[in-house]
Amino acid sequence: MNDHSPPPAGSMADRLEELEFRRAEARKMGGETSIERQHSAGRLTVRERIDALADADSFTELGGLAGTGSYDAQERLQSVTPAPYVGGTVTIGGRKVVVGGEDFTVRGGTTFSATRRKGGQGGLVEDFAYHYRLPLVNLVDGAGGTVGSIEKRRHTVFPGVHGFERSVSLLGQSPVASAVLGTAAGGPAGRAILSHFSVMIRGSSQIFAAGPPVVKRSLGQQIDKEELGGAKVAVDKAGTIHNAADTEEEAFDQIRRFLSFMPQNVWEMPPVTACDDPVERCEEALLNIVPERRTQAFDMKKLIRLIADRDSEFEIQPTHGKSVITMLARFNGRPAGIVGNNPMVYGGAMDDKSARKQIRFMQLCDTFHIPLIFLVDVPGFMVGLRAEENATLLEGMRVVHAAANISVPTTTLVIRKCYGMAGMATCNKNGVDYKLAWPTGEWGSLPIEGGVAAAFRREIAAADDPAAKEREIEARLRPFASPFRTAEAFAVEDIIDPRETRPVLCSLVELAELRIAHDLGPRGVFNFLP
Amino acid sequence: MAKQDILAPVSGSVWKIECEVGQQVAEGDVIMILESMKMEIPVEAPAAGKLTALAVGEGDGVEEDGVLGAIEP
Repeated sequence: MNDHSPPPAGSMADRLEELEFRRAEARKMGGETSIERQHSAGRLTVRERIDALADADSFTELGGLAGTGSYDAQERLQSVTPAPYVGGTVTIGGRKVVVGGEDFTVRGGTTFSATRRKGGQGGLVEDFAYHYRLPLVNLVDGAGGTVGSIEKRRHTVFPGVHGFERSVSLLGQSPVASAVLGTAAGGPAGRAILSHFSVMIRGSSQIFAAGPPVVKRSLGQQIDKEELGGAKVAVDKAGTIHNAADTEEEAFDQIRRFLSFMPQNVWEMPPVTACDDPVERCEEALLNIVPERRTQAFDMKKLIRLIADRDSEFEIQPTHGKSVITMLARFNGRPAGIVGNNPMVYGGAMDDKSARKQIRFMQLCDTFHIPLIFLVDVPGFMVGLRAEENATLLEGMRVVHAAANISVPTTTLVIRKCYGMAGMATCNKNGVDYKLAWPTGEWGSLPIEGGVAAAFRREIAAADDPAAKEREIEARLRPFASPFRTAEAFAVEDIIDPRETRPVLCSLVELAELRIAHDLGPRGVFNFLP
Repeated sequence: MAKQDILAPVSGSVWKIECEVGQQVAEGDVIMILESMKMEIPVEAPAAGKLTALAVGEGDGVEEDGVLGAIEP
């Protein structure tokens, strides 16, 4: 070990030598044994993660010297244990992004007491993203604070003193993506939630408010961490985290895909890319995608593939709230958000989960001025005791509320059914409220069959043959359900040939861009609720 | 590979059963059709094998993730 004395030190050469030594110490992270342990758990180190996420050689570190030095009796530096957090700026797809993550190889990525925090909840990395209005990527792999710090501090800290203020304000300003790459509880778990997009690793990462030991003590329940907070719970069932990935590399790929649709901040336009898929591509397959039988479902994702720019779709929350599909995609290179009902799951009925998913997605697109396209096949809210217990009506009306509060241009295209209040949740009544339909479209407060039995109950009961009477009334009303009758009354603005869908939507997304250019900036104080 | 349960993708009722116990099925074959939210929801074989059990009959109510039958390779 060299003689790195405190000032008065020697020459510039000595000082540079000390600087290089300290930098080398930082690169060692928690040391070879800890790094090996991280690798054998199938996990990358935070520095490897940053390299895997970013464009090659684009990392500029912030605060690399922070750590805990160890000195001998003469105050000569012996070694430095780096702070358990690494952050800085990188480029992703050529655009500047701020990135940071806990270093699990240093004290398990626990919080580090210093004059200033490096990242996580608050800290330099978040301040950088906020000040320079840049996207932020959190690489979450830490257990948060430890009770042990109480002894050092000699008092307990009120919740929120090192709080989430910056994390919250960032949500109204710059895209924030988080990858949960280890076991996240407490602060790091909360940090991951305060994101526009989050992803975790199926089988090897977990997230929860509190882990198995706390659950055991509080409830007496024995449960392992994967059962409690693996992707099956946190992504598929709860929707706490948006997406799952099989590997860390795939998670980073998802984050890069997500950011490729996002502007750098709310003051910029969503990024337009070159498109070699012809706008005039009119697919014949669209003509028979909707089955003749109204009780048969169809593949809405296949429909989307036929109309969006080829291979441009990026699905958010594909395994949660599956009766609605939320996807970012491009139309002639311009980003758009697609909300498509999925008739293969509960006939597309909106339940509590799909309602929450739709709200989050609409607010994401509204925050970053990405026009919305609703592809509608919704029979209404989910019905039944379980649906009522899950507050489907409340969550569903929250979607209607959210739709009334967005200002980004929207287009509604009814593919088949559009009924009731769930149907209302597919329009933005405050905007142009442009509603298109395929000739297969049908709508109303409720469907004629079933509706007739209720509305004409007395007339039906009084008939000699009630069943025949019901059929007779249904047959009398059926012609009025033709979408063309509604178009005549100008209550939908147009009916289109399904094959024209791509050119029509490309043109509307282009139109939306003209409006958005005059409408940039934050959504307001109440910015984006994760 | 061991026995694999066939699970209900949605809650609803069994509308039509398309296979018999003992029958060989390929992955993706339609085992039965559920009715849910006035829609026909096909239940496909999760793997290829022999249909060794059916836990429901036509007209029965089913809950999401409830066991409908089993397949053995």
